[in-house]
Amino acid sequence: MKKVLIIIKREYLVRVRTRAFMIGTIVSPLFMLALIALPIFFATRGGGDRRVAVLDQSGEPDLFDAIRKSLASRGNPDEELNRRDPGVGSTNYALTRRVVAPGEDMNALQTEYSQKADKDPDSTYLILRPGGLDKIEPEYYAKNTSDFSIGTLERAINDAVSGLRLKRAGLDQATISLYTKRVELTRKKVTAGGGVSEGGRADFVVAFVMLFFIYMSVLIYGLFVMRGVIEEKQSRIVELLVSSVRPTQMMLGKVIGIGLVGLTQIGVWAVSALLLTTVGVSTFESRGMRMPNIPISLLVYFVVFFVLGYFLYATLYAMVGSTVSSEEEAQQAQIPVTLLLVVPMVIFNMIIANPTSTSSIALSMVPFFAPTLMMMRIAVVNPPLWQILLSMAIMIATILLCVWIAARIYRVGILMYGKRPSITELGRWLRYS
Amino acid sequence: MNVVELKHVTKRFDQFVAVKDLSFEVRQGTIFGLLGPNGAGKTTSIRMIVNIFAPDEGDVLVMSKHVSPELQPHIGYLPEERGLYKKMKIGDQLVFFANLKGVNSTEASRRVDEWLKRLELSDWKNKKPTDLSKGMQQKVQFIASVIHDPDVMILDEPFSGLDPVSVNLLKNVILDLKQRGKTIIFSTHQMEQVEQICDDICLINHGTQVLSGGLKEVKRRFGKNTVIMDYEGPDSFLGDDLVKHHNRFPNYSEILLNDGADAQEVLKRALAAGARVNRFELVEPSLNEIFIESVTGKASVSNGGER
Repeated sequence: MKKVLIIIKREYLVRVRTRAFMIGTIVSPLFMLALIALPIFFATRGGGDRRVAVLDQSGEPDLFDAIRKSLASRGNPDEELNRRDPGVGSTNYALTRRVVAPGEDMNALQTEYSQKADKDPDSTYLILRPGGLDKIEPEYYAKNTSDFSIGTLERAINDAVSGLRLKRAGLDQATISLYTKRVELTRKKVTAGGGVSEGGRADFVVAFVMLFFIYMSVLIYGLFVMRGVIEEKQSRIVELLVSSVRPTQMMLGKVIGIGLVGLTQIGVWAVSALLLTTVGVSTFESRGMRMPNIPISLLVYFVVFFVLGYFLYATLYAMVGSTVSSEEEAQQAQIPVTLLLVVPMVIFNMIIANPTSTSSIALSMVPFFAPTLMMMRIAVVNPPLWQILLSMAIMIATILLCVWIAARIYRVGILMYGKRPSITELGRWLRYS
Repeated sequence: MNVVELKHVTKRFDQFVAVKDLSFEVRQGTIFGLLGPNGAGKTTSIRMIVNIFAPDEGDVLVMSKHVSPELQPHIGYLPEERGLYKKMKIGDQLVFFANLKGVNSTEASRRVDEWLKRLELSDWKNKKPTDLSKGMQQKVQFIASVIHDPDVMILDEPFSGLDPVSVNLLKNVILDLKQRGKTIIFSTHQMEQVEQICDDICLINHGTQVLSGGLKEVKRRFGKNTVIMDYEGPDSFLGDDLVKHHNRFPNYSEILLNDGADAQEVLKRALAAGARVNRFELVEPSLNEIFIESVTGKASVSNGGER
């Protein structure tokens, strides 16, 4: 057991210390974070004060005040009218009214304000064309028109206009607030045994992301194991190792060590994803995107299914690696194993469309498909606990069988060079003492 | 005391019999030469001693115990085909190999420094194998097989690919280990090296023993039937009736005589033929000669009595 630990340590450290791992683990989430955060950062950075000169041709005396009031009431639910203000950016709009008399030269005025805006990015202007409340088409002129906070201005104008229209129809403020009160749909998920739980808004997205993550990580880390075995075999390090360690210990140490590398990477990603969501969640929500609500139990299942799936496939990949002499040979030899892993990716649509059908249940019990398909069913429908446990039990039994077979093939394979063994030869290897 | 013993050991792979009823003993504190042509069963025998394979029949005893994982820390094995992790520093690899043999990390790094210094590799401790020459890698592999201070060492072609200076360095290390009471099983195709350092030898072919015993005794068994002669002139005087085998080297000739042939007769004929003889010596056959003759079945001396 101590020897297995020594091997686990080597396999782990040697991979974690590589530049590729550092880049893959730390830089890539940072990069993703930057990719999402930077535009938001720059868009909201504006902040500060923005002077808006309102060139008012509307002839509506109350409109300007209504807009100003609406802008000032941001975040105050009682004053809000049919809107959910994002609060993106802390831009303060300072509105000044410039009433345009009917006879004035609008073009000259616009040129004047445009020049001002050109010199000073914080100086902008809004044109309210004549036409009254019913035909209002406000125009906003600014150096930067991709500023997220412009949405705030737009909604404020909308609220002001709707408010004035309702008032004109004879409603008082209290009635208006009552009638336009926003309604929210609460989604509750029916769980096993008839219970009810929160969430379920983004089940499909979560299910797909988890399916994909398990598939990718099992494939990538499984192939790492195979490559590791081939490296030791090709460079004849095994010859030095076998006089110190049993081949089974070598194989288990390698599989576990690389698995821990995978868990480390997933862990780092999970933490950074968590940070990303806590930092970015308000931003996303304000823009109408609901972040999926992922229950802890789902994350636990994810880790369990990743570990089981990885163990199953890594063992098979280790076995394949021990029977070949080069990476080129391995490309061919690993196809059957990889195909087993790919099948769920091809049929997952069927499962997600009808996750409780007999065929879906049966497929999610097949040990080679369970890591992906059962995971997906858990994310979508909360299958009965016995099904989840059964699939785990079947997987564990299969893993034990595979470890037994792989270990016997491995111990012979790592010392055999040259021709790839046939299936009959592999069968004979199983019986060697 | 015998440190390693094989008793009537047989190992089969399917229909192929790699080792057949093989027996030999290795005495403590000696260097034992395990010889044989390619495919004779040397590696299979060694793998049974280091507990990689189990014998189908017979017993393999190390320090009077059947081989088991518990014995592995006492055995050091330098395989013929060997390698290092490409992406791991030399020092780290050696500590890793020592750890696997049960040496703790502090002690292991102390020993690594000591060995690297001894084999003149100290500057390479933090380099990766790809930065080292093949010879240097060989020396590192040697260290990996002795880092845990084993009682029994099995060295398969330890000198291959080394320059003469390194060969000498390593040879002295091996002789020093022997001095300290370590037992060494040495496998090679370089017969001169065997003659230089081995006490006992065992020659196997097709999985069975052909020849075994003390090196001196084995050679004596073949008798002084070889003439080393340095001469100038034609070699037509060497008639078939006297000479069984003739190796003409640039500086001298090695002449293996027929059974019962008289060496003096060779000298007489040479002089009669007008050759100038600078050196004439009657010696035991070289191990190389014994090896070739034993393996090709042309041995002139029966070795049946000794077995």
